[in-house]
Amino acid sequence: MQIHEQKHGAVTVLTPEGPLIQDDADAFRQRAMTLYAKSLGRFVVDVSKIPFMDSRGLETFLDLSDHIGQSGNVLKLASVNKTIREVLSLTELDHAFEQFEDVNTAVRSFL
Amino acid sequence: MVAVIGVTVAAILVASVAAGVWWTLQSETVSAASTRKQEVQTAAELLAVSSESLMAGDNLSPVRRMITEAARRHQLDRIRISLPDGQVVADGDPTKITLINLPATWQGGQVVQASTTQDQDGVSVTMPIDVTGRGPAKLELFGTIQRPTWLASAAQAGLAAIGAGGLIALWLVYRSTRSRLRALGAIRESLLAIEKGEESDSALSLSPNFGHEAQAWNRLLNDRSELRRKAAMERSKEALVGTGGADLRGACDAISQGMILVDDTLVVQYANGAAATFLQAKRDLIVGGTITRFIRDENLVACINEAAVSGSRKRSTLEIEYATDEGTGVLRYHVRPVRREDRASAMILIEDITQQRVADESRNQFVAQATHELRTPLTNIRLYVETALEEGEKDPALREKSLNVINQESRRLERIVDDMLKVSEIEAGSLKLNHDDVRLDQVLADLLVDYEAQAKEKSIVMGFNLAPKLPVIQADRDKVQLAMHNLLGNALKYTPAGGRIAVNVDVADGKVVFEVRDTGIGISKDDQVHLFEKFFRAKDRRVESIVGTGLGLSIAREMARLHGGDITVESELDKGSTFTLTLPTNVEAA
Repeated sequence: MQIHEQKHGAVTVLTPEGPLIQDDADAFRQRAMTLYAKSLGRFVVDVSKIPFMDSRGLETFLDLSDHIGQSGNVLKLASVNKTIREVLSLTELDHAFEQFEDVNTAVRSFL
Repeated sequence: MVAVIGVTVAAILVASVAAGVWWTLQSETVSAASTRKQEVQTAAELLAVSSESLMAGDNLSPVRRMITEAARRHQLDRIRISLPDGQVVADGDPTKITLINLPATWQGGQVVQASTTQDQDGVSVTMPIDVTGRGPAKLELFGTIQRPTWLASAAQAGLAAIGAGGLIALWLVYRSTRSRLRALGAIRESLLAIEKGEESDSALSLSPNFGHEAQAWNRLLNDRSELRRKAAMERSKEALVGTGGADLRGACDAISQGMILVDDTLVVQYANGAAATFLQAKRDLIVGGTITRFIRDENLVACINEAAVSGSRKRSTLEIEYATDEGTGVLRYHVRPVRREDRASAMILIEDITQQRVADESRNQFVAQATHELRTPLTNIRLYVETALEEGEKDPALREKSLNVINQESRRLERIVDDMLKVSEIEAGSLKLNHDDVRLDQVLADLLVDYEAQAKEKSIVMGFNLAPKLPVIQADRDKVQLAMHNLLGNALKYTPAGGRIAVNVDVADGKVVFEVRDTGIGISKDDQVHLFEKFFRAKDRRVESIVGTGLGLSIAREMARLHGGDITVESELDKGSTFTLTLPTNVEAA
């Protein structure tokens, strides 16, 4: 899995590319945690390039959400594709994240 | 108050002493009367017995001496032996004797009974005397009860001494306890005030001049205040940190603004989760530590000091820049004094305004740049319109030239306005993608047609190297075309005559890679950093001579990003540049 970073103003967009499964999920979790601390919470996860994810990937998102939630923030997911949206909906975890139609809208939510 | 107590004590004391003296006098008087009665009775009995035998022998002289002696010895006021006819045989006062010698016999008369009477004046005893062979006589004695005058005097003197001594002692005690009693009175007043609901220590405390009791009372008040302060702190901590305040703690952690409570020693009493993130430290380390360990800015520390330690009511707001590995940012700190009954403290609220600051700067820059960009073509249009109006009729060639310039500048103005509208749409978030099936081979063919003539005109060799089979992607055709046009247009614009441009299109890993490689003037490393910023033009004289708004690349990248792709650049000054546009083949974003 490749993880891309893009700066949109003062907001960093983290774009994992590839399935969020197994060890890749752990690597993404570590990267996201580090970025969250460095950016003081100003980051968005663009999930448009995650074709699917397993339970570990789902757990990663939940862990991130809990960690970020302790600081009064919420994990912002942008460009959620149909597959990921269905996974979140079926597991009734869609409410745990803030979902945005696209990256720009997610970035503007920091204004 | 003190006087009332003193007079009451004195009255009780004097009354007690007077009652004691009266009781003593009464006891002594009764005792003296009883003794006197006994004495007079005993004397009467003895005299009666003795007189009977002596009078029977007509021996009156000893009787009279005995009577006289008894009167003197027993201090009798009256002592008399008389016959029934009233003749006085013997008397304590010899002048009152009326019968010198006893008759041989005499009539009995009324029988005399022995009797003893006692009244306030004295004791009166009457005894019958039976003079054998002659007749009856009677002995009468009266003795005054002598009250013990010495006792009364002593009692009066004692009473006076006790009274005087008591008053002196009372005065001394009163004087020595005066301030103490005043302090006790003041303490009582304070207690009554507390009962009525007074809570202020300043209203309840006493002047230290009232003595030890007042000082002890003040210490009690201080201790009470300290206990209340500690209780308040505990309650505060419990409310914020303890299990009892779980809801409040959860609520504070749900706030995205950092929240820190420091006491008057600058020790952090509470910090929420966001504060820990902003201070980049663990919450456990922050709480209980000194705030200056985590906040270094002198101005901010001074503000916190002013609010928490000095007790000032001033509210402060500071915006402080910071730097991390991720770049710089701006945090806004609000310092608010927290007034509590026991001691001061301060609340520090932290919010991250980095994105707002970036947006503000971007907006300001956009307005400034837009104004500048619009002014240039507008000025040219105005000048050439004036020239055409003034000189046009005389010089048709000049008029034609002026109209051409006006035409070019109008088109330039149109482009700028179009670009600005697109940027505005991007900024406002209103730019939406209209997804459709986009045949890349068709798009690239149109692109080649559009730019082939221009390349030929500038003697630039332009080649398209396409993958054997290009996919049909889900995207917004116009916006994909716009991005590609901007990249290829820039390549033609900044590549000198005789140069080469290669457009390579490939498909790999679900991505379409559109690469434009030129042998143009290139971009310096410094300029590459700002290349995608709005209105940015490289600081190169060759660039300044070429018309451009500085919006094209910014728009192109936004178009790519809207599709979930991106644009990157690799360039070397004077050698050329390579712009790479990547687009996902199955775009679903936006």
